[in-house]
Amino acid sequence: MSNQFYEFFCPVKVIAGKAALEHIPYELTGLAAKRPMIITDKGVRAAGLLDPVVNACTESGLDIASIYDDVPPDSSTGVVRKIAGIYRSEQCDSIIAVGGGSAIDTAKAVNILVSEGGDDIAAYSGAGILKRALKPFFVVPTTAGTGSEVTAVAVITDIEKHVKLPFTSSFLLPNAAVIDPRMTLTLPPHITAATAMDAMTHATEAFTCMARNPLSDAYATAAIRKISDNLLKVMDNPRDADARLELAQASTMAGIAFSNSMVGLVHSLGHATGALFHLPHGLCMSLYLPYVLEYNLESIREPLGELLLYLDGPDAYAATPGNRRAEAAIASIRKLRDTLYKYCKLPRTLKETGAVREDQLDNIAELALDDGSIMFNPREVTLEDARAVLKRAWA
Amino acid sequence: MLAERIQPMAYQARRIYVELMFKVLGSAFQAASEIDPEIQQEGKALPTGLLFEMKVIPDGPRMIVEHLGNGRFLSHGNNPPRPVDLSIQFKHIAHAFLVLSFQEKTSVAYAHDRMLVDGDIGYGVRMTRILNRLEAFILPKMIASRAVKQYPANLDLPEKLLTASRIYLKVATKFLKW
Ligand SMILES: [Fe+2]
Repeated sequence: MSNQFYEFFCPVKVIAGKAALEHIPYELTGLAAKRPMIITDKGVRAAGLLDPVVNACTESGLDIASIYDDVPPDSSTGVVRKIAGIYRSEQCDSIIAVGGGSAIDTAKAVNILVSEGGDDIAAYSGAGILKRALKPFFVVPTTAGTGSEVTAVAVITDIEKHVKLPFTSSFLLPNAAVIDPRMTLTLPPHITAATAMDAMTHATEAFTCMARNPLSDAYATAAIRKISDNLLKVMDNPRDADARLELAQASTMAGIAFSNSMVGLVHSLGHATGALFHLPHGLCMSLYLPYVLEYNLESIREPLGELLLYLDGPDAYAATPGNRRAEAAIASIRKLRDTLYKYCKLPRTLKETGAVREDQLDNIAELALDDGSIMFNPREVTLEDARAVLKRAWA
Repeated sequence: MLAERIQPMAYQARRIYVELMFKVLGSAFQAASEIDPEIQQEGKALPTGLLFEMKVIPDGPRMIVEHLGNGRFLSHGNNPPRPVDLSIQFKHIAHAFLVLSFQEKTSVAYAHDRMLVDGDIGYGVRMTRILNRLEAFILPKMIASRAVKQYPANLDLPEKLLTASRIYLKVATKFLKW
């Protein structure tokens, strides 16, 4: 018998499609919640995305007890403490996060404090510290990429100590993820492209890294198909609500895939680059994905070749000989990247970002070697390897 | 208790084997860190005084090493002098046995959710790379390539250091046939 073994877990209810937001009051009531707090950021509010959420609730006679709209892009322990204080003084009993990765992570951390008590979020950092369910928690993503609505982790920066605190527990997962096409309809082209490439990377790494399993494979391939079929449609016509919904669902599916099978070197390099140069995560993913696939090629030839079917469709797959499919899959991802550059100038190389100098590549390589996701990369990555990949991604 | 009486001998053997292999790993850790530049390089980034353990939860066999600085490590056997800073934990003795008998690579064991890291993940990643290299030292190449993702190209250590570990290993592999 082979040593095959896996675990798969996703208890998040997915509420997706037209008028999905209007299901929030019913879902909250089902959990006996009457005083929800909304946690979001200024950008979401300015884009007018809060109104449909608030209206959906008030129309059903459910008042929002409090709105915190000042989550910064890189959330900190201080912000979490402050929001928890407001939650308590306003006697809220549930949380709705509306936003991207930062608002969602912040809301997860706030939920720990208001459920477990205390003001010191650092005390709950680590894996498996939480032992019981938290307060009712809903997530309304406003980007289609991070998949944070279905991941059991949150990362919060401790500014004074200069460390990023990781929190891992299945209790961080929301009760429901609400995916409504209205929420991503106005996302600007370059963010649409970058976040979609993040989702593409989640699915591709989930499918080719060491912890892949049959269930996450199903989510990953379906996500890749949806992104391939719909990303350029949305770039052509940003108001295409159907294609927007497809992308948002793909992001959630890719999130389910990678939270169960993890990611690899693209993310190790991306996390390091993000930490050092504050480049958007999705952009880093788009940059590194083809080069890391090339580096991993001989370890992932079979699964990568299979992905051609989902990237380019059955005709292209059938027309490509079996031993050329992996290369064709990489070519397809490169082509997508180049097309996105034409649409919105999404940088194709590190040099094009204008934020990194060539003599700084070593710093990225060294930091990437300490990233947890490197454990799941199918090839054992040495410092030399990481440097070589970065050189190729440079220009 | 009845459960104890009917417990097959193999369980006992598996436990002894895991204890023995932890002992081998601990002393190899110390010895190799004294002469291998790669391990020293990898270890240097860790804080001096970092106390690392590998164990089977809840209170199975364990191995403890301390980083003395500059990539040198000291083995503390199974006795931590103070609470540990970083812990890699097997969920069950059966999982530790799979890894330490080289039937499942360390990296695969991670991927299979067999182990947990308690502490800084970055340090955990480094310690795992050192463990990979140690496995390659201790084992004959044929078995080692099963145990680690990639067999290092530049292994060359005095045979003397290796013999001691390999003798242990010979004793240990006897358990494998059970
Ligand atoms: Fe990502």
